Amino acid sequence: MTALVSCGAIARNTVREALRNRLMYGIFTVSVLVTLGSVAISTLSYVEGTRIMQDLAFASMRMFTVGTAILLGINLLHREVERRTLYTILSRPLSRTVFLLGKYLGLVATTWLMLLCMAGVFGAVSVAAGAPIHMGHFAAVSLLAVEMWILVGVAILFSSFTTPMLASLFTISIYVMGHLSQNLLELANASSDPAVQRVGGWLHQLLPDLARYDLSIEAVHGLAIPAAAWGWPVLYAVLYSSLLLVFASGLFGRRDLR
Amino acid sequence: MNPAVIQVENLVKDVRPGLGLRRKRVIDDISFSVQKGEIFGFVGPNGAGKTTTMKILMGLIRSSAGRATILGHEVGETAFRNEIGFLPENPAFYDYLTGRELLNFYADLSGVPVDQRHERVDLLLSWVGLSGAADQRLRSWSKGMLQRVGIAQALVHDPSVVFLDEPMSGLDPIGRKEIRDLILRLREEGKTVFMNTHILSDMEMICDRVAIIVAGRLRYLGRIEDYLRSERNEVDVTLESVSPEFAVMLETRYSVELRGVRDRIEFRLDEKHVGSLLRTALQTGARVVSVTPHRPSLEKVFLTAVEEAAAADQATDTTKGWWQ
Repeated sequence: MTALVSCGAIARNTVREALRNRLMYGIFTVSVLVTLGSVAISTLSYVEGTRIMQDLAFASMRMFTVGTAILLGINLLHREVERRTLYTILSRPLSRTVFLLGKYLGLVATTWLMLLCMAGVFGAVSVAAGAPIHMGHFAAVSLLAVEMWILVGVAILFSSFTTPMLASLFTISIYVMGHLSQNLLELANASSDPAVQRVGGWLHQLLPDLARYDLSIEAVHGLAIPAAAWGWPVLYAVLYSSLLLVFASGLFGRRDLR
Repeated sequence: MNPAVIQVENLVKDVRPGLGLRRKRVIDDISFSVQKGEIFGFVGPNGAGKTTTMKILMGLIRSSAGRATILGHEVGETAFRNEIGFLPENPAFYDYLTGRELLNFYADLSGVPVDQRHERVDLLLSWVGLSGAADQRLRSWSKGMLQRVGIAQALVHDPSVVFLDEPMSGLDPIGRKEIRDLILRLREEGKTVFMNTHILSDMEMICDRVAIIVAGRLRYLGRIEDYLRSERNEVDVTLESVSPEFAVMLETRYSVELRGVRDRIEFRLDEKHVGSLLRTALQTGARVVSVTPHRPSLEKVFLTAVEEAAAADQATDTTKGWWQ
């Protein structure tokens, strides 16, 4: 019970920190401008205007949510250790795992809040531009939110043992490779070398399969989204992010806070 | 005898200063215990290992060997830590929070019941003189104010053991006095205080016992008075209208060093000779101006310990071969 209260307090404080960070408002403002810009760009086409607008707006939503997760995630633990704000917290009756979990949940909530605001802008702009809004859009935004469980977990894992610079490099690499992991597997399978096939298979298993969290094409084109298309990814995200947190907690728990 | 609240046994900490560099011993086999209700001072020069010891006690770093317990719990455990308050050296806090929000946050983490939180936070803010600035963000606060709120967060959950690392740092003389009074109040409430400080006069005024640590090793452990009592007791004597013969006798019989202007002389001598000397002085017509007991300070104790440690290190170095 105490651990839950502490975890909640850390998470709430992480959200509060983000809400009082001007950078967040800067990111949100730029994302709104890009979404509004997508309306202007969509006018260049006579036939696919609304689709182009929603495509661009979705891409902007993804880019800025991912950017927020990486930007805040890579600094999450490092800054606490560097500035020694951690000392007075870890001397309380809470374990490092609870602290890490609180930070994780707080950052996930922050990215969700950001995503919610951007989705609101997306909805408003779509309605104003006469573009349709349907369940596919909700599914796509929801899966992007679920993808943040994994991405924030990756950022925190690297933040638990390395510098923000390296953590950002690793997290961005994992994000990009995660979206290409299916392609990596197909590429490896196309090779005649069994060793390449094996390595491709391992990488596919090891890297998060993030491509399945991108339903923007289905949403924008109004294609049917089966329940399995977002049911399995949710389960996968729960398992994958749990594993990431276990590793991050193991690494962070062993660290000497000198 | 009160039960030991803090127990440290043969504590050792080795650190590697950098990748590929040899391990360095920063805490070398130290043992001590702190009793309930005591104000225990941990003194040492910079780099002596005071903060490292405190971090081990707070579970922030792990010891390489030895054992440390607080209230009977291993320092690595977390559940008992609502009984502990900790002020780190040069404390840093979330500067986007106001003083009140910060204390509420720590109260939340320490399990202070919601119905008592508001009252407790207000009380602590008034104790450390920050009621007026409670709703300002920490970003705009001075170092002294941060130090005060640091003390408040260490006490917000009413712990029974308080660890203070340089609690007077950044405070003006009035602030130091207030914090000293606060620490004494904690003792009156039956709390145990373990503090590191460089300010020896403060420590001498409030600590029941001290440990002097130099280069990772404990050089002295005990009551300040006991140490001072073990020193040779001397008195400073000032006499007037002293005859030249008496002055010569003082120098030859008591081996004292005379300082003086015209017919007034001052000297220091062993307390056991005072009676006979004063009788002789009065018989020779001298006038006794003052007799003041000379009391060595904690500073002297501290400097002696540092000098002895340096000498011991030098001796160890000279006995080592070039291959060591």
